[in-house]
Amino acid sequence: MSTIAAPRSSTGSTGHGWEALALVASAVILLGLSLVAFVRVPLAQMPLYFADDYFVLDATSMLFLLMVNSVFLGISVYIASRVQASAALAASFAPRALLTVAFMVAMNASILSNHLVVLWCLIELTTLCAAPLVAHGHVRRPAKVAWHYMLYSSMSLALTFLGIMCLTRSSPAAGGLEFFIDRMGSSLGPQTGWQQLGLALILFGLGSKLGLAPLYSWLPETYEAAPTSTSALLAAVQFNISVLAVLRVLQIFRGLDLGFVRHELLVMGCLTLCVAAVQIMASKNYKRLIAYACVSSAGVIAIGLSVGPAAAKGVLLYVVSAAFVKALLFLTAGRLRAVYGTNEAAALSGAIRVLPFSGLLFLVGTFALLGFPPFGTFMAEMLILSGIVQSGNLVAFTLMCVTLTVIFVATGRSLFPMLWGASKQPIQPVRERWVTAIPKLGFVTALVALGLYTPASITALLDVIAASVGTR
Amino acid sequence: MTTALALFLLAVLVPVFFGRLGAAPFWMAVQGGALAWTQVSHGGGSEHAWVAAGETLFLRVIVAPYLLGTTLAAGGRERELLPSNLIAWMAAVGVTALAFQLGAPVLAAKDAMTLGVIAATVAVAFLLLATNTSAPGQLFALLCMENAIALFESLLPHSWPLPVHAALSVVYLLSVGVASWLIRRDLPSAEIVGTNGEGRS
Repeated sequence: MSTIAAPRSSTGSTGHGWEALALVASAVILLGLSLVAFVRVPLAQMPLYFADDYFVLDATSMLFLLMVNSVFLGISVYIASRVQASAALAASFAPRALLTVAFMVAMNASILSNHLVVLWCLIELTTLCAAPLVAHGHVRRPAKVAWHYMLYSSMSLALTFLGIMCLTRSSPAAGGLEFFIDRMGSSLGPQTGWQQLGLALILFGLGSKLGLAPLYSWLPETYEAAPTSTSALLAAVQFNISVLAVLRVLQIFRGLDLGFVRHELLVMGCLTLCVAAVQIMASKNYKRLIAYACVSSAGVIAIGLSVGPAAAKGVLLYVVSAAFVKALLFLTAGRLRAVYGTNEAAALSGAIRVLPFSGLLFLVGTFALLGFPPFGTFMAEMLILSGIVQSGNLVAFTLMCVTLTVIFVATGRSLFPMLWGASKQPIQPVRERWVTAIPKLGFVTALVALGLYTPASITALLDVIAASVGTR
Repeated sequence: MTTALALFLLAVLVPVFFGRLGAAPFWMAVQGGALAWTQVSHGGGSEHAWVAAGETLFLRVIVAPYLLGTTLAAGGRERELLPSNLIAWMAAVGVTALAFQLGAPVLAAKDAMTLGVIAATVAVAFLLLATNTSAPGQLFALLCMENAIALFESLLPHSWPLPVHAALSVVYLLSVGVASWLIRRDLPSAEIVGTNGEGRS
């Protein structure tokens, strides 16, 4: 039996204090601004337009601003707390912190965007900021993975662009098409085959960016290879800009007959859940397993959106809850990897005895991921399933129940022995810093709060957005 | 079809059928030049059109080909962009012909042709991505796609507003910069050469 001489809590170089502080300060500023906007601008006064109507503050952007900036604060505190302990992070901290802030600025701008082409550009910009972060990963050739990530993203967005071309083609007065999101719906001509093809391509492209099958393979590869803080950023923050883009498209086409869009989302969602279930069963790597859980959550969102208004609120609650779950799991996985130096689940057998606090948080995150009460994911999945039943789509209901059960069993089979099993390598329990734990505790608190009691102001936001994406 | 459009299409198709990776920066520069020409024609010689054309010349004729060239300096210049076999050629001809059907029935002749060229460029770029495992070849395909997106502007009655234009340019510049950096950073020469078309060069 091999032994590990000492946990890998390598001492990084010091002198990154002000950089770490600047990173956390930027997160505090972004969240502070979002909270000020949330408190000062009543729902009735929305939407508020600014910068020549290129940006808008409405219910949708408000919810996503609050969500991504809350998650970013947690991630930035985690990164700042790790810089003294991780030599690898300390060696490249300044450029990584700068790219992370640039990524978040682009994210906030894209959330506020009211122009389809500007939104398209800003999503690409977030990818361009994230790709160099992925290149700092722990695999043999991280730059190759980062290039694949960038390539897939560009291809997905090119498909979206093809869709925009088809929409232009559908309008006899070519170019008369308005690209401002709030006015685009009214500038569309009568529904034609080209329009439907354009919409289908736009959703296919955005769905691929979301990690929906068939173009999903970049997601597990990237999430596994990237540093864990970057994986958390991609899974809990960037993932949501793709969700927001899909919601924006559904808002543009609200009122039109979107039966074919519902079918497209349903097929992609069901296919994604099946793929995720099979891959989770085969996965022996805990980071890849979390990545496939992200793929499965994309499938749940697609199926939820496919049934229209009945499940829209559940989808939104699921999106918010899943952001906190993914951030919690990836950041805790980062702690596990820092100590064990591997992503293999088998090597971490008995992890809860070595890292009691992180092990416990990983357990809590796993329960939240699997949709246990009292977490927000439980409530959200119930609302989505209830919406599917109301819509009468029993095939989708059955498929979702079966695949979620398979994912439940497969995840438990891999992760519970990892936490509770007999230790394969004798490692002394590791003392954990409270600063590293604070953001994760914050995520758990948010998850429980979402499951037990959602404040009236947040519920009102969810209701307004759910009504805006209703399809016929 | 205008001369500028014809030149753009030639700069997309010639390297695909007859060119090697080493010539890709040259054809990329020709595409950029044709794009700038189209922008000036479309804008009617307005100040906005000249500014846009100047920016295009700087970004797509100088910067992007230079960065592509530095990426290729690590190796793989002799590789073919598209495998020289009948199936790949048939596919390329097929997607190009199909692309020109996109705009034909409804749009005015000039717009239909432009839409056809855009669609052909995007389709050929996808074909290159599907048949190319070498990173520089994939980067060339990606840049072709970005140029097609820029050409899309000439379909609109008015040019993109300045913020949209700036956003597209920033994305293009960063795309080529980040991609070039990623490819040069870690990929060894063997990876840059790729696996498609083994033994042909």
